[in-house]
Amino acid sequence: MIVSKKALIAILILVFISPIFGVILADMVGFHEPLDVAAEALDLQDWSEDINWTPFFDYTVPGLPAEAGYIIAGTIGIAVILAIGLIINRLVRRS
Amino acid sequence: MHIPDGFLDLTTSAITYAAFLVYGGYAFKKMRANLTPERTSLVSVLAAAIFAAQMLNWPLPGGTSLHFVGGALAGIMVGPWLGFLAIFLVLLVQCLVFHDGGITALGANVLNMAIIDVLVSYLVYRTLVRTFGGKGPVRVAAAFVSGWSGIVLAGAACGLEIGYSPSFPYGFAVTLPVMSGWHAALGIIEGLITALTILYLTEKAPQLISPEVGEKE
Repeated sequence: MIVSKKALIAILILVFISPIFGVILADMVGFHEPLDVAAEALDLQDWSEDINWTPFFDYTVPGLPAEAGYIIAGTIGIAVILAIGLIINRLVRRS
Repeated sequence: MHIPDGFLDLTTSAITYAAFLVYGGYAFKKMRANLTPERTSLVSVLAAAIFAAQMLNWPLPGGTSLHFVGGALAGIMVGPWLGFLAIFLVLLVQCLVFHDGGITALGANVLNMAIIDVLVSYLVYRTLVRTFGGKGPVRVAAAFVSGWSGIVLAGAACGLEIGYSPSFPYGFAVTLPVMSGWHAALGIIEGLITALTILYLTEKAPQLISPEVGEKE
């Protein structure tokens, strides 16, 4: 699979600066996802939080500060997407 | 716009999953015709870039936020079928790896962002470019309108789904205008980012814009 180095660098820069928006500024203004705010206000039960299936819940990494965890989580997400893309790419080549 | 678990009842969840699976099957058939290794590479990188862009949450005073969704950009760049695949990949990874969006609401989230947003944006962009020509300012304006309209309709669909579901205590009368109105405001930012990205791509890498858009010469 061909991934342009320029595109990959741009994506990683986005991930690297993302904690400024997703963690630091979010903490400053007390941000939550709009629909999560509604769920909390209406006392709706998000039952999947009780049966969480991932160690990277809400873009965190266990044992890491929120900012570093956000960057690592973003990098993991990109790696997973590109890995799925690689599998699709191989299937296309084979067919 | 990511609906968490607990918002949708079983019926709404099942209907939205069914819509996603039927459309996904159709999209897969359509995309197979022009699926090349180069196109799949482009879709993967586009999905990764949209995933990264969605991590840039812009918090707004009052405790909420906005972020780029990217459905219009995907539709314009790779067409509605591969655009569906790109946004679906993003939503799947967000849900399964980061628990962002509920597993019971994955069908609804895919329906709103990977189907409605991508398809509406693509159709609006294609119609405007075919009607008014493919010159730079038209493309930029079309990309803006397409980004705005896609996100507003996706927001409206989200309002309908949670309004229809008995699990959510407010009906359509509240959820539809709230979600549509809110996304009509946020859609301006979505439209601007889409328009600026398309402006950049038409100047620097026009080969990355979908040939399916089919401009009027």
